Amino acid sequence: MGFWKRLFFGDHTKLEDRQPNDTKKEPKQPSSAKLSANIDYLMNEFNRTSDLKIRILKKGNAALLYFESLVDQEKVQEAIFKPIELGDVEDISNLPHSKETLNLEEAITTLLRGHAIYMEDGSRKISQFKVTSSFNRSPEEPANEKVVRGSHDGFVENMMININLIRKRIENRDLNVKYFKLGKKTNTNVAVIYLDGVADPEIVQQIETRMKDISADMIHSPGYVEEFIEDQTFSPFPQMLNTERPDRAVANLMEGRVAILTEGSPTTLIAPSTFFMFYQASDDYNMRWYTGTFVRLIRLASFIIAIGLPAFYIAVVGFHFEVIPDDLVIPVKSSINEIAYPPIMEAFVMVVIIELIREAGIRLPQPIGQTIGIVGGLVIGDAVVRAGLVSNLMVIVVALTAIASFVVPSNELSTTLRLLTFPLIILAGTLGFVGIVFGFLFILIHLSRLESFGVPYFSPVSPLRIKDLKDTFIRVPLYKMNERPKDSHAIQTEAVGPSREWKKREKTGKPQTIESGTNQTTGGDQSVSSDSSSE
Amino acid sequence: MKKLILVLSTLLLLTGCWDERQFKNIKLVLTLGYDQGENGGIIETVSIPTIQRSSEGPGPESVQVISTDAVTPRDARDKVDQSISNTFDPAKVKVVVIGEDLAKENIYPTLDEFYRNPNNNLNAHLALARGKAEDILNFNSQSPTRISDYISGILEGAVAATHATGENLQLVCAELIEPGEDFSIPMLKIDEEQSVIKFDGMGLFHEDHYTGIDIPADQTTLFMLMQGKKGRVARLTKKVSDKHENEQMNYVTVNVMNQKQKLKIKAEGETVSADLKVDLKVRVVEYPADHLAESATVKELNQKLSEILTKEAEEIIKIMQEANSDIWAIGRQVKAYHPEVHKKLDWIEAYPEIEITPNVDVEILQHGIIN
Amino acid sequence: MQTQIGVGILSLPYELHLKAKQDGWISLVIGAAILTIVLFVLWGIAKQFPEKDFFQINDVIFTKWPGRAISLFYVLYFMAVSVLIVLLFTRLISLWVLPNTPFWILAFLLIFVCLYLANAGLLIIARFYTMVSFLLLLLIVLTIYSLQEIHLMYLLPVGESGLGKIMSGVPEAMMSFLGFFVSLVFFSKVEGKSKDKLKIMLAAHLFVLVYYLFTVAVTYMFFSTEELRLVPEPLLYMLKSFELPIVARVDLFFVSIWVVSVATSFTTYIYMAGLGVKHIFNKKSSPIIHFILCLLIFVGATLIGYDMGKMNRFGEIIVGIGLGATVAFPFLMFPIVWLVKRMKGKGAGQA
Repeated sequence: MGFWKRLFFGDHTKLEDRQPNDTKKEPKQPSSAKLSANIDYLMNEFNRTSDLKIRILKKGNAALLYFESLVDQEKVQEAIFKPIELGDVEDISNLPHSKETLNLEEAITTLLRGHAIYMEDGSRKISQFKVTSSFNRSPEEPANEKVVRGSHDGFVENMMININLIRKRIENRDLNVKYFKLGKKTNTNVAVIYLDGVADPEIVQQIETRMKDISADMIHSPGYVEEFIEDQTFSPFPQMLNTERPDRAVANLMEGRVAILTEGSPTTLIAPSTFFMFYQASDDYNMRWYTGTFVRLIRLASFIIAIGLPAFYIAVVGFHFEVIPDDLVIPVKSSINEIAYPPIMEAFVMVVIIELIREAGIRLPQPIGQTIGIVGGLVIGDAVVRAGLVSNLMVIVVALTAIASFVVPSNELSTTLRLLTFPLIILAGTLGFVGIVFGFLFILIHLSRLESFGVPYFSPVSPLRIKDLKDTFIRVPLYKMNERPKDSHAIQTEAVGPSREWKKREKTGKPQTIESGTNQTTGGDQSVSSDSSSE
Repeated sequence: MKKLILVLSTLLLLTGCWDERQFKNIKLVLTLGYDQGENGGIIETVSIPTIQRSSEGPGPESVQVISTDAVTPRDARDKVDQSISNTFDPAKVKVVVIGEDLAKENIYPTLDEFYRNPNNNLNAHLALARGKAEDILNFNSQSPTRISDYISGILEGAVAATHATGENLQLVCAELIEPGEDFSIPMLKIDEEQSVIKFDGMGLFHEDHYTGIDIPADQTTLFMLMQGKKGRVARLTKKVSDKHENEQMNYVTVNVMNQKQKLKIKAEGETVSADLKVDLKVRVVEYPADHLAESATVKELNQKLSEILTKEAEEIIKIMQEANSDIWAIGRQVKAYHPEVHKKLDWIEAYPEIEITPNVDVEILQHGIIN
Repeated sequence: MQTQIGVGILSLPYELHLKAKQDGWISLVIGAAILTIVLFVLWGIAKQFPEKDFFQINDVIFTKWPGRAISLFYVLYFMAVSVLIVLLFTRLISLWVLPNTPFWILAFLLIFVCLYLANAGLLIIARFYTMVSFLLLLLIVLTIYSLQEIHLMYLLPVGESGLGKIMSGVPEAMMSFLGFFVSLVFFSKVEGKSKDKLKIMLAAHLFVLVYYLFTVAVTYMFFSTEELRLVPEPLLYMLKSFELPIVARVDLFFVSIWVVSVATSFTTYIYMAGLGVKHIFNKKSSPIIHFILCLLIFVGATLIGYDMGKMNRFGEIIVGIGLGATVAFPFLMFPIVWLVKRMKGKGAGQA
């Protein structure tokens, strides 16, 4: 990045070390030339914590400070002592890879980041060495967003690796990363990533302002950030997309959206997001487009099923049994004839049972979780019907609803859907179809009212934009998606140029005119380095 | 806002459900029968199936048949309610059977209740019963099917085989009310010998009552074809010769593949006449007498069939005029296309007198996989 | 953008067209033709003041206080129409779907949902309308399903009921297009050139006409002339007798979708009334105004309730006022607008 900037703008003056967060605003405490004073200051600031290791060197004239718990001892050896032992440099303070400061406060932050600092008596200079130990999981495929085809890596808890994963996919100088330090006490690193020149600067600006407004002690997961910056916290619908998949994040960045990464969590927030984004999975783009469309239609149908089916069934059984077709009347009647409770109670009981099973299954270790699933699903389901507490039709309905709600690629929306079932069940139980219609009407109005960072939430449908429907209900072939969706407010609309000219050429017989270099992949560094945490 | 939502939901929860009609608390009535009662009242017969639930799907089924005397159908319903557990609901009624005697009166009062209340099933089949509807409903067939399925099965079969129009309550309503347009309803009768219920022709209606005159069952196919209606199969078996000793050899059976019906109405002054042209394209499905290898034989057979059918059509028209049943809605059409003629005529009296000339033209297109 | 307008009062035309018997569709066409002229007049008025909404125009041409009085009259009129919509809606629901549910529950539900929508502002309302206009297609598809049983014969003979009767059906026909007035009120709020807006208005008008004509024709052909007299909501009645393979009672689904159209037109009227009130009293906060309006409408509607006689009388009054307010008044307004504009133009020229 810096290289490009220098190349293009001749911006030589700004060449300085940059940090994940701006230290300029932090309080300054000039270091003193007296070593003991410096050490005392640091010790006090850290409340004499036990894991702050102070190694006195040079017979008490110098000290190396670091957090035992944060640094990698081997790295300390490697980076600091080995060069001296080898005789490359005589003095630690002269080590070339150190970063120097005169500010003790800065030293504090670097110490907390896992650096070691070296101070000498008689000099105000503080040398900092990066010797952070990091424990990283490998970027495995996230368990909650599996795909059949497509990339199988996922974000991890280390933000730097995550950014690395993104940058590997977008080799573009316009990819912009902005760091924030949120949480007054936890000082969590948060990164805002967007593609400059594609993302709407207004939205980026808005996200930044909202981020800066956060004043909380602790930001320990993206959920925190989400609730602080989203438009409508009282809406049941998630207004930011959560994903742990780099490819999904990248696809959204390319559409002109903004990704928000948090240190310590693999979950990335995507904003602005729309309702239908929650129904897209990266799988869709790896299939034939017919299949992709089919799968997507099924998913959208699952939305209706998930929130409407139990309500519909209750309305039918409780109010309008005329709508049951003639041949089905007797079977339905026979199945519900001797159930003790009204259907609305049945539905509640079953929905709650399913939620119980689900919740129990998630928290328990895998083998037991499966047992719970079998005991809950099969045994209870069967027994409940045999005991005559719930009709078998209701079991079918509720089970279908649960399955439909799990079809949604996003876990957030899936829980929302299951929650929305309840008011609709109540409405259906009191007013039948009319109640359901009003319920749906209310949800639809709510969806049209919702906005995510100034972007209408229900976007390609309301406001209607027929062009964008081609990646909403259906998925047209990729070369046809030549424009970015309007809902991301991308300032550069064209996404795919004419890519199938060869077909025309085949017909006309014209040779290909090669544009220099545009289509050739620049041979990037393909090896994935696990040590990507270097700043 | 949020409080309002909360208030709303509690309101809804507290106030409960006004119109709830729990499906499980309702006795479904699938077949209804109406008969002439004493002193102008009616007798309503309902058959209520009750199914026991067993762990694997529907269990054994018991049917309760109840008859009551009452003044009006709605009154009868209340009386039936008094003798069964829960209340009964005819919203899913499949078949309405009307006794012969009741049908000879105006049937609209009996059906009014069906039209007036929104949750009645206007798709229900309508049928007449030779004798009493009560007997049909009480009929204990040996087949294990439900009486409603049994009767509606017969009626649907009749429609598929081009014996009956698929008249349901809704479709009848238009013809019941509109002057100058009549209809016919399938007639059912109990065959005691074989212990089955049988389709027994179409009962002809005039305005709003049954005339007592039927199109016999073996002529209904042609009757339907003359109306331009064809079910899935229309099969005609006709005697085309007397030559053969073996009776079976004298008959031919054809399947109508394609049919075209055209009714031309001429109205001049005060005389109305109509030409009915029916073109039938048929396939021979049974003809043991000849092998139809030569086109001359086919032609001959065409001619013969046409003659026979035309003659039969004349008979049918005679029956219809006798019954004063204007199935083709000639009256309404005269009103629509020749309003000035219609004004001059008293249609009810004029109809039996008008001249309707049928002309059935049969053409054999195929004769199966052998010649 | 405004295609949805006026479609709300779906069941109204059938009921009223019976005046002209099987020639009701002629009345419909005549009514629509007259309204096209009115639409041009409205456009003519609105074009003069591209920046102002209807209430502000009133202010300008009738000077402040009389203008406000007229605006107030319109606000009351809009509210009365809202009440009528609530009444029609609850009556239909109670007849067809929920016979025992108390009036206030249904009225409350409708008003509540619409209030929520009206508070969202015009942009959201418009977005919502475009979305739900797809449901209209569904209604049309449902109607098409019934085409298999129609008889062209029932439409004949044309003109049997006589010109007088046909003409007497015209006001009723026009009533069903009541929503066209919306275009005047919202004219300034919609972006675009005035020519384009006129096109949109006409297109919407045409669409509504074709839709009405289609349903009217289908129902007329489905039911016999005599039978139609007995059936106040023929479209529903027609659908009732069909059975789709998956579900019976298509009419129930039809009613359900119809509820959405009712809600949209109701919202429009609340919003218009709210706009007027805001203007008259120079208030800013619309949610409170809408809330108060809705409360008044609710009370008003509850006073009448399910009483059919009262409702019919009320409806007739509204139809009368409506014709005056939306058809006659623009004609009156047009020359005044023209005059005022000219005088102003001269005054400006002299000064």
